[in-house]
Amino acid sequence: MRPVGFSTTPNLVLRLPMWRSRLMLFMLFFVFMLLLIRAFWIQGPGNAFYEAKGVRGTQRELELPASRGKILDRNGQVIATSLEAKSVIAYIDTVPEDLSAERMHKLASLLQISETELHKKLREGRKQVFLKRQVDPEVAQQIKQLEIPGIGLNNEYRRFYPEGEAMAHVVGFTNVEDRGQEGMELSREKELAGHPGQRRVVVDRLGRIVEDVAILQLPQNGKDLQLSIDSKIQFLAYNAVKSAVEEHHASAGGAVVLDTQTGEILALANYPSYNPNDRKNLNGEQLRNRVLTDTFEPGSTIKPFTISVALEKGAIVPNTNMVIGASYLVGPKAITDTHVYGNLTVSQIIQKSSNIGTAKIAMNNLSPEEMWDMYTAVGLGQAPKIGFPGAVAGTVHPYKKWVPSDQARIAFGYGISASLFQVARAYTIFARDGDLVPLTIERSPEFKPGSKVISAKTAIEMRGMLETVTEPGGTAVKAQADGYRVGGKTGTAHKLVGKGYGNKYRAYFAGIAPISAPRIVVAVMIDEPTGGSHYGGDVAAPVFSTIVSETLRTLNVLPDANIKQMVLENEVPTTTHGAGVKAQQVALKR
Amino acid sequence: MNRATLTLLSLLLICALSLVAAQQRARKLFVALDNAQIEERKLNQDWLRLEYEQRNLSKSARIRDVARNQLHMIPISPERTLYLKEAR
Repeated sequence: MRPVGFSTTPNLVLRLPMWRSRLMLFMLFFVFMLLLIRAFWIQGPGNAFYEAKGVRGTQRELELPASRGKILDRNGQVIATSLEAKSVIAYIDTVPEDLSAERMHKLASLLQISETELHKKLREGRKQVFLKRQVDPEVAQQIKQLEIPGIGLNNEYRRFYPEGEAMAHVVGFTNVEDRGQEGMELSREKELAGHPGQRRVVVDRLGRIVEDVAILQLPQNGKDLQLSIDSKIQFLAYNAVKSAVEEHHASAGGAVVLDTQTGEILALANYPSYNPNDRKNLNGEQLRNRVLTDTFEPGSTIKPFTISVALEKGAIVPNTNMVIGASYLVGPKAITDTHVYGNLTVSQIIQKSSNIGTAKIAMNNLSPEEMWDMYTAVGLGQAPKIGFPGAVAGTVHPYKKWVPSDQARIAFGYGISASLFQVARAYTIFARDGDLVPLTIERSPEFKPGSKVISAKTAIEMRGMLETVTEPGGTAVKAQADGYRVGGKTGTAHKLVGKGYGNKYRAYFAGIAPISAPRIVVAVMIDEPTGGSHYGGDVAAPVFSTIVSETLRTLNVLPDANIKQMVLENEVPTTTHGAGVKAQQVALKR
Repeated sequence: MNRATLTLLSLLLICALSLVAAQQRARKLFVALDNAQIEERKLNQDWLRLEYEQRNLSKSARIRDVARNQLHMIPISPERTLYLKEAR
């Protein structure tokens, strides 16, 4: 037996119990297991959250801008276009309170607002505020160079209208959000509007785009729209109306020019007008497209239609002689003319615009139904379908409600109402051998078939009668146009004021030209001419004359009137006699 | 380690490096494309602006003004116009 040393004593033997090390080992193992499970979770099923976080750090969604479509005239000239502009935004919390007075002053002058106004905007309770919208890019660049914290720039578009007020009622305008508010901008909003797209990209630490991830939505630019309007004709029509309104101290005026062959609207002018480039004062009266939205009693301009019904029936011919007299009693009030005529032929009734003659033709030969059929067949009482906002229908009361005095007055244009546009359209039946053409405001330069209303014979007879109106002895000698034979009908209507007729008038002229092969229909209206004559033949006919001669010249239509040539053929260089020469040779003799 | 393993290893290395290079190139090209697209947009806008300016210079009101007041032109009338027929 081994002796036990003195230095060792069994009492001092210390032995760690086995379970403690086991427990330690297990705990270490357990913690490692936890870590492993966590790592597995992060890598595997729980990954989406972290992935999303990573994507958020590196990926951005960007807008792909889309522009609004342009509006062009028939020759491809721009009449409305969108250009890039910037809006200036202030993030109020970030803008320093102690901004130096000098920078403040610079910013205010760049924004073209007063400093007090700028201060007021910056003290508004909101987080961000538009300081100014649609700022020119150059000005925006200068604002950016001021480097004021919290002042940012946003991309947007601004609409420009090069033709300004001459075209205002046709194109209309858009609001600050680039949405159409009036005219074609409003009615064709769907096609014109662009739809911005979106794409997702990967950006690096500095925000630069390094990779395209996906295009979420393709941007769609708005479609361009080409109108049938000719800016030159529109401009000259607008100016003719404007100067007539000013000359006769009238309250308003309007004119419409139609192409008889294609049904295209070449011009649609209104005065007073507005400048669509300046949104500040866009409200009220000036916005009204009177040619389409104002109805009036068409007065004498309706007489050719009444008489056409009788001609068509064979009840009368242009040479039929009729007794007119001083007055004609139908119903409670007698019908009178401005002059007293003894006898007139049917043709002269048109030429002199006799109310009595027209009423007698209607009362002796026509039934209310026949007249009603005629007026509705030429489009009165129905809103024209040309896709213009606010086009009105006017009224033609049902013929069953007409009493004889109604019938007699409707025959010369009182007791029914129509817009100038409707009257112009109705006149296409005389310009086109009796058929009514569908009208369009979009360019479509091919011949359009119309719907037959009267026979070609009646239409040709009526053209002849309408021409006599502009010849000596007619009511509208002033409608004669330089170089072209024209025909038309004057109208002078008492305006309804309250329940009766006051002493306010509307003067019109509706006509066709050139008579030998009608190409255009022009209708002119001057509202409330004061000072001097208020007759259609004196006020509206000269406007018609100007528009017709200038329009036909613009359209390169050969003159059909007898004109005394002042240039001799042999003055023209022979080289220009070659094929394809269509242009006018002008040699001035002074 | 035999020869086949060594070859494969070097091939793998080359592939890995070229992948990195290709990716770098792709990014560079992408940045170039993006810049070109931004440029295209800018040029497009410039074109629209120029078109508008040209239109502004050629609008009827201005032409009439220049013709009448600066060039002292007068409107033509049919009496002073010789109409030529197109040769058929």
